Amino acid sequence: MNLIFIPIVLPIIAALALLLMCEKTKYLKELLAIGTSAVALLAAANIFLLPVQAVSYAWLGTGITFTLRADNLSAFLLLAVSLFSLAISVYSFSNPNKGPAKWFFFNLLMTQGFAAGAALADNLLAMLFFWEGLLVFLYTFIALSQTTYAAKRTAMKAFLINGVTDLCLLAGITITAYIAGTMSMSEIAQNKLTLDYGWSMFAYVLLLIGAVSKAGAFPFHTWIPDAATDSSAAFMAYVPAAIDKLLGIYFLARASIYLFTLNGTMQLVLMTLGAVTILVAVMMAFVQKDYKRLLSYHAVSQTGYMILGIGTLNPIGIAGGLFHMINHATYKSCLFMTAGSVERQTGSSDLSKLGGLWSAMPVTVLCFVIAAAAISGIAPLNGFFSKELVYKGTLDTGYTIFFLAAELGSFLTLASFLKLGHAVFFGERPENLKETKEAPFSMLLPMLTLAGICVAFGFGARLPTNWFISPALAGMNIPHPLLSGFHPDKLYFVSVIVILAAVANHMIGLAIGGGKPSKSSDHIHYAPVLKETYAMAERRVFDLYEVLMDRAVPAVSLALFKADRFFDWAIDAAPSRLSGFFGGTSRRFHNGSYPLYMALTLACAAVYILLAGGLK
Amino acid sequence: MTTHNLLFVLAAVFALWAVMAKKLLTSAIMLALVSVAVSLIFFDFSAPWAGVFELSVCAGLITVLFIGAVSLIRADEDKRPENRAFAYALPLAAAVFAIAAWFYLPPFFEELAAGRQMAAGGGTIGTALWGLRRPDLLGQVLMLAAGVFVIKSVFPRRTENK
Amino acid sequence: MDKGLLAYLLIPLLSAVIIPFAARNRPKLADILANVTLLAGLANLAWLALRPSIIRGEFADIPGDGFSLLLVAAVYLVALCVTFFSAWFIEEGLPNRSAYYSLILVSVSAMCGVVTTTDFFTLYVFIEVLAVTSFALITTDESGAGLEGALKYFFLTFPASALIIIGIAVMLMSLGSLSFESLRFFMASDLPAGPVTFGAALMLLGFIIKAGVVPFHTWAPDAYQGAYAPVSAHLAGIVTKVSGVYAIIKMATLLRFFDGRAQALSEMLMFLGLLSIAVGALAALKQTNLKRMLAFSSISQVGYIVLAAGLGTPLAIMGAIFHLINHATFKTVLFLNSASVEKSAGTTDMDKLGGLEHTMPWTSWTSIVALLSTAGVPPLSGFWSKLIIILALWEAGLKGYAVLALLFSIVTLAYFMMMQKKVFFGKKTPAAESSPEVCAPLLAPVVLMSGLIVALGLLFPYFYVYVKMVAERILL
Repeated sequence: MNLIFIPIVLPIIAALALLLMCEKTKYLKELLAIGTSAVALLAAANIFLLPVQAVSYAWLGTGITFTLRADNLSAFLLLAVSLFSLAISVYSFSNPNKGPAKWFFFNLLMTQGFAAGAALADNLLAMLFFWEGLLVFLYTFIALSQTTYAAKRTAMKAFLINGVTDLCLLAGITITAYIAGTMSMSEIAQNKLTLDYGWSMFAYVLLLIGAVSKAGAFPFHTWIPDAATDSSAAFMAYVPAAIDKLLGIYFLARASIYLFTLNGTMQLVLMTLGAVTILVAVMMAFVQKDYKRLLSYHAVSQTGYMILGIGTLNPIGIAGGLFHMINHATYKSCLFMTAGSVERQTGSSDLSKLGGLWSAMPVTVLCFVIAAAAISGIAPLNGFFSKELVYKGTLDTGYTIFFLAAELGSFLTLASFLKLGHAVFFGERPENLKETKEAPFSMLLPMLTLAGICVAFGFGARLPTNWFISPALAGMNIPHPLLSGFHPDKLYFVSVIVILAAVANHMIGLAIGGGKPSKSSDHIHYAPVLKETYAMAERRVFDLYEVLMDRAVPAVSLALFKADRFFDWAIDAAPSRLSGFFGGTSRRFHNGSYPLYMALTLACAAVYILLAGGLK
Repeated sequence: MTTHNLLFVLAAVFALWAVMAKKLLTSAIMLALVSVAVSLIFFDFSAPWAGVFELSVCAGLITVLFIGAVSLIRADEDKRPENRAFAYALPLAAAVFAIAAWFYLPPFFEELAAGRQMAAGGGTIGTALWGLRRPDLLGQVLMLAAGVFVIKSVFPRRTENK
Repeated sequence: MDKGLLAYLLIPLLSAVIIPFAARNRPKLADILANVTLLAGLANLAWLALRPSIIRGEFADIPGDGFSLLLVAAVYLVALCVTFFSAWFIEEGLPNRSAYYSLILVSVSAMCGVVTTTDFFTLYVFIEVLAVTSFALITTDESGAGLEGALKYFFLTFPASALIIIGIAVMLMSLGSLSFESLRFFMASDLPAGPVTFGAALMLLGFIIKAGVVPFHTWAPDAYQGAYAPVSAHLAGIVTKVSGVYAIIKMATLLRFFDGRAQALSEMLMFLGLLSIAVGALAALKQTNLKRMLAFSSISQVGYIVLAAGLGTPLAIMGAIFHLINHATFKTVLFLNSASVEKSAGTTDMDKLGGLEHTMPWTSWTSIVALLSTAGVPPLSGFWSKLIIILALWEAGLKGYAVLALLFSIVTLAYFMMMQKKVFFGKKTPAAESSPEVCAPLLAPVVLMSGLIVALGLLFPYFYVYVKMVAERILL
């Protein structure tokens, strides 16, 4: 068996094996999952180190082959997927909030296997197969994480949003393959498609919808905050924070750079989408009162940076987007893990009920501080470098407005993390949390590892850019300059200004909010125009899914119900009534009267003879 | 010539008998005998096809059908008194017809005999029946058997019902 | 007349004559003689047609046109089932037991005569013999309904005899001959059709009446319902099929419908066929008496055969022949089962029956097999014949006919399901409480026929070869 199959097949087999295990077995399921993830990670690392390799099998008849191809970008992505899978497996070892262990690890391993397949697939159809498979496990992951009705509802919401956008992806892939005449991405890349005419434009837009929806960008993000409250922190750390971002941005990069040659208009569209995602989500994140929900909005917001970076279409920006993708997965996973451990230890994720945990949970605080600094773009952590690349790429395009929007987003990010950190870990500790202890080692280990990666990728930013990003760009045939290094140029000073502004904002907020850190965002939350806007957002007026579900769906389903009743009547009631009528009539006619019968026979015979005799 | 006359008289007698008979069964059988006489006349005038068909259809088939129908009629229906006034007029009509026939039939037969000479070589009764229409004979045999069994099947019940 | 098959006509006749004498003192001997005669004939037929060498040679050595042989086999098979069934069904005290068997044997003889003859007049004679025997058979149990049915059968089919004889006369005048071959040669030639087709049309009308095609079907429900129970199986299963439907198929091939020589006649026949399908199926939906419902179902199935015969293409003729055989199998099963139900529960009123599957499982299951075959459910034999007929219609461009035929096949399934539900499924009614399964000899014929239905469906390729050979021979 080829090495390339191991990261795909092994987790799936392990997941199926898990189903055979008794629910009562202790640690067996956890250990199996950890072991599987570890082996998959080793295999992924091995694949990464080997030169580009591919396997290909004839699949659905002529023209469609099942091709797996581990080029630099795919191998990098596979490595990331495997790494996060292992981290979450370890993290979930003793986390009771993850739901039934059997189903949690089943979903985790299935997601891992399918994500690995989607990353490695070279054939668009094969990729779509794995991509759609993820959709199934997204649903089961959320639905089985809690036994509440809300979990089912959110699972359905996630399923429907992603299902619809996956259909767009399906249509896009079909059209793309039709235009290109092949399903193989590497073959399409040799002769890239342009957006010169309508159909290819349409195809690209459909692919774009599929990709950004997977990444969780505006306006397809609305299930993520709901999932944050209705499912486990481990799920959030794994799927929306890591896997979805990785795959969505991966395919966005593939589609935008590898398969298509974009024009100026589409560049503007992408950058606008990125900027809007950053601002909308971060504005929402800023005013949240729940640990995980706040993080989930940031998960959406950070996607905007990646889309913005790739949308610049210049090598610096793309490198920034991809670098930000891996960085974001690292620190956001870490942040969700801290949320999970705080929730495990205190039983709450409500900001107003938490506080002063720094002395009780020092390691968690350390990880939180590192990851929060990284997401806020404080030098010299990894988030700073990737954001710097994105900013630089944005400035190179000449659209300063997007740069400003991104900086504003950065400001709000930092402000909200100041609020979050202050509310959870500093300030006064409530009475009921006096006995709180540090989280167990199995939860701290992956957190520390990821925090360590944040630091390592910051101080040694050369490593990831040289090892991962440069080969990935080279694999997509993009010439690029040197990417790494610390530049004390004006961008650095801008970031310092942003930091100072955020701190000042936090001070003002605290002063207005009466010293309560959980209310430090109220001065913006209840500002004149924003107050109404936020109120509408709370009522989910801007949530396309909810609006559709509330307004359109009842009407449509009523119409469909009527139509269904009509068809039911037309094919069931009407024929049976009609045949019953004719049957009854003919039954009444056959009354046994001999004269009637004879008259009928003779009359019809006369007609027959006239017709046969040439009347016709 | 005498055969013609004889057959003709026979046919007339059987026909009269059929009408006059009190029992329906007798009527049916007499009708069959009329048909036999008529078909013999056909043969004699060299019209074997007509003779064969007359024999098959009228003498065989119709008779059996009649007998079958008659056998279904219940005994009590059989006994219903019948208006037989017309029967007394019949001998008169027959006498009138016989006198007319005395004058007109011989020339008519001669004319027919002339026709026979024109259609000479039509074959005998034997060749017509056996050579041309042999399967029909089989059918006739079957028909007779069927008739017998119908009577055998239906009549015991009638007697029992009494 | 086909000399090779003459023995199949003569031997039952001989038996029929012997039975009254032999069984005078021992009534049971009548049963045995009749059964043995038919069984021997069937064995002989099997040897004639089912030898391995014959099958290997794709039935090329079959005597005659193959059609006759097939129908003789069907006649013997159905008659054997009926006589075997009757042997245990007839009450001891029936006075005319031997006459009953004699009549059945005579009707077998007559049917063999019908299917082997090559002359219109002979055909007519045999059909009349058949009419006489069946009319006596209907009244076997001397019930009022039987008498009424017999009289309706007798009088309502009387116009048929008249029409046939008039047709024969017209044909003799215009064609000068009455043999099948002369009509075939005439139709193959370029001579103007004129009175010949008119004569044929009159004969065809006679056969249509005899077959019970709508709107000349009115005698059928009363006759089948009123007839003595095993006799209705005999009548519906084979007698009316041979005396009417067989003749229609024969006429269809002789008139060369497939090359459009008698276009108007062909169209009329197809229309009547479809009308039969529709009226029969719709009327069957609303019947409450089991036997009457089966009678309407029979009318509906005859419609399929007539429809195919009216089309007249080789494929359609194949479908018609095959459906004729299938109809003989499944209708025999259903009518014999209705007789079993009548014997066991004492009624055939479906409103009074119910839940019989618990006490009469064999009857219930054989009914299911037969009704599924009637409705054309694969892989039973009825499916193939309906498929061929509908394919033939579609191929000839008559898509509307094909679709309607298919639709009414669904109606067929509907009324049979209703029948099965009312009679066999559901809760036991008082009538069903005291109705045990009938004895094994009464079940043997229906089980045999059900097995044949399944076998014909599964061994369809062999049967297809045979029917194809038949269609080729009679259409050449």
